[in-house]
Amino acid sequence: MRIARGWAIVLLGVPTAFLVAFFVVPFLVVVIASLHAKEGGWTFANYAKELTDLYYWNTLWLTFKLSLWVTFASLAIGYPLAYYVTYVLKRRTVRRLFYVVVVTPLFTSNIVRSFGWMVLLGRRGMINDALMSLGLVERPLPLLFTEASIVIGLSYIMTPFMVLTIASVLQNIDRSLEEAAEDLGAGRFTTFLKVTLPLSLPGIIAGSLIVFTLSVSAYVTPSILSGGKKIVMSILIFQQYTSVFDFNFGATLAVTLLILTILLVGGYLFVMERGPRVVASGA
Amino acid sequence: MSVGTPFRIGRLALSGFGWLALLYLAIPLAVIVGASFTTTAYLRFPPVGFTLQWYGQFLKDPSYLRAIWTSASLAISAAGIAVVLGVPAALVLARTRFRGRRTLSALFFSPLILPAIVIGAAVLQYASALGFARTFGAVLIGHTVIVIPYIVRTTLASLAGFDQSLEEAARDLGDSGIGAFFRITLPTIKPGVIAGTLFAVIISWINVELSIFNTTADLMTIPVKLFNYIQYSVDPMIAAVSAGTIYVAILVVVTLDLTVGIDKATSMNR
Repeated sequence: MRIARGWAIVLLGVPTAFLVAFFVVPFLVVVIASLHAKEGGWTFANYAKELTDLYYWNTLWLTFKLSLWVTFASLAIGYPLAYYVTYVLKRRTVRRLFYVVVVTPLFTSNIVRSFGWMVLLGRRGMINDALMSLGLVERPLPLLFTEASIVIGLSYIMTPFMVLTIASVLQNIDRSLEEAAEDLGAGRFTTFLKVTLPLSLPGIIAGSLIVFTLSVSAYVTPSILSGGKKIVMSILIFQQYTSVFDFNFGATLAVTLLILTILLVGGYLFVMERGPRVVASGA
Repeated sequence: MSVGTPFRIGRLALSGFGWLALLYLAIPLAVIVGASFTTTAYLRFPPVGFTLQWYGQFLKDPSYLRAIWTSASLAISAAGIAVVLGVPAALVLARTRFRGRRTLSALFFSPLILPAIVIGAAVLQYASALGFARTFGAVLIGHTVIVIPYIVRTTLASLAGFDQSLEEAARDLGDSGIGAFFRITLPTIKPGVIAGTLFAVIISWINVELSIFNTTADLMTIPVKLFNYIQYSVDPMIAAVSAGTIYVAILVVVTLDLTVGIDKATSMNR
């Protein structure tokens, strides 16, 4: 359908106007607020306060460190699962069962999912109960309200994103390439390493990007599973807005988190787009 | 194709891992559902006995019913507005070539990339400046912004393999532009729009990060209410409320599977 010029302008213009008014402008309000003192007037004081206080650097470091662990963990679980679903499972009903189980957590609030891990990881939780009845530990392990519990809970929440992203790439790999490798005498494992894995790299890259950025800004899971003992950036931002009532400094923290995330993601993409080519030409 | 022993072992290990991973994805939700039936006054899994009293308790509490109503009307309105805005935008983006088209598509996807917590703060600050902070309208605007990308993405995906000559044929045969749209284009994009709408409804329904900045005691969504409660105490009643949201999730997933096909719906959303 050729869309008449006038219609195209209306059909695209109205949604664009909506996003500009309610998304771009509010975002600019945040950026501008971060450059203003509470009393008014342009200033870099908020950023100076943030960057000269070690506390904020430590919080940033913790946020990125935890997100990196989450990215690795969900990749380690997500890749084999995605491979299994697309390459090994042949029956459509079983495959659909897998998809339903992967998607259902995705459609459940982060609170409910973190709550589930609270029950599992608590002092009298299922994991401690099992460990104790097996005689592996004498006293319940302090699993909950640690950095580890945040990583466990967030990895659980992120795994479906990783699985779906990688599976959609694996689905589109041309099977004849793998068959050719096998016809030429490569074993299954060699075929996987030399053909399937490099071809699925875009899925790994996209999946880790989604997981990393979502983890960096996750608020609910760290709040619930840290029991207030570990503070990440999103918790700080929320405190500034709702209990300290310093919108300007809250905005500064939010903008910093965003800029650092973009820099890290950009750096990662830069490395990944060069790296594999070197590997491929060396192989 | 040779089927040697190492291959078999590898395959067995992979199957074992696959099913374990499936269990891992199901257990935290199963624990909540199980614990919601316990007869004990504290959370217990496996549950002791079987009772529906916790469901009765939360269904009798008007504050929960109000929160469910707020969340449901938010989700449906946000998804509705997003369809009205997102589907035409996707159609134009797919069909026309003009300068700045890439920038505009990036704009439609950017709410996905910007942290929800930043959007939440932005909506609060913006609405405060304009004097409508913490109102249904403010929350609705925020929710609409974050669900638009899902509609645009699935609609674009369903248009990707679409043969435009069908529409042209319809018009050559005398169909009007609008008629061709309803007879040819709409059926093509229908699975995409349905999948996108269901995703949009659910993304809004489970959102905390954006809502939490913009809700009050009188304007409370169900996830925010759950969140405020769980931070201080957990009991079987809250497990029942949580289990209720899991049933909603299962219902939407099954609907998605029966209407569009779950594998297709999710791959459209990548």
